Amino acid sequence: MSERDPDAELVARVGEQDPAAVRTLVSRKLPRLLALATRMLGDRMEAEDVAQEAFVRMWKQAPHWKEGEARFDTWIHRVALNLCYDRLRGRREDPVAELPDEADPQALPDMQLEARVRDERVRTALAALPVRQREALVLNYYQELSNIEAAALMGVTVDALESLLARARRNLRAQLAGSGFSKDMP
Amino acid sequence: MTPERFRTIVDAYGADPRRWPDEERAAAEAWADRHRFEADALLAESAGLDAWLTSHTVAPPERAFVERIVATAPARRPAKPRGRLWWQGAAFAGIGLAGGLAGAFAVSFFVVTGTPTQAHDSSSYMTSSFDGSSADWSGE
Repeated sequence: MSERDPDAELVARVGEQDPAAVRTLVSRKLPRLLALATRMLGDRMEAEDVAQEAFVRMWKQAPHWKEGEARFDTWIHRVALNLCYDRLRGRREDPVAELPDEADPQALPDMQLEARVRDERVRTALAALPVRQREALVLNYYQELSNIEAAALMGVTVDALESLLARARRNLRAQLAGSGFSKDMP
Repeated sequence: MTPERFRTIVDAYGADPRRWPDEERAAAEAWADRHRFEADALLAESAGLDAWLTSHTVAPPERAFVERIVATAPARRPAKPRGRLWWQGAAFAGIGLAGGLAGAFAVSFFVVTGTPTQAHDSSSYMTSSFDGSSADWSGE
């Protein structure tokens, strides 16, 4: 890797137990990890548990972290994904079967209600995807990892990643078709 | 860039060129410019799904949760100020010494002046049933 890891210096300070560095790392990584786990698991509470455990691993790893082939961000994504997979394997029922809560139409103004309904539709459609397709889409689209980084994280070739992404998008279109999906929506 | 490759890119990464692979972005955009009609049809198909995906947000972590995470980090102990510690030790030693002197003075005072006066009449609360008191009704 030719470019320097943008997190390397910060992680070194975390390794020296610098309180300011700890706060900076939390503010930099927690929203990303929480978003990743929430989209992978479809459950906020479980996602928070995953994020917390991922940070415990970071604290342990930070004093020994050395800039190498993997960026710190890629490594922590791998850790969080493994924790998500542990939980997904532990589930007996597919979370797909869980329908989104219906928003109370009295409680929210029209615009907010529409946004919430749309959000729930996408969340349900994402949860219904096969796990590897969901992982590919979450890493590449939402976490904004490059195709090479996402493929490396998943242990597949870029071609295989593109195939997973294309299938994920086809499946999502099919699922959202029953939710007023059109070219111009939402 | 071939039409097949352009379609593969849009199918996988969506309609926004910023999401296309870095090394192919320029070629794909050039191809789209040269084949506007064909490209627009493909891009419009993907743009709808992009808009749906973008509308899905995850709420940021709450402050209390952030603090909980920060609290899990091993904390460096702040360096102890040596000078201040010396003064604290001296103060404790001084207080102890003063207490000891006051106690010694009080004892020597009573020794010199005799037995301290009884603050209370010893008739009631100092007695017990062993003093032969009838308070336990043993005489009844």
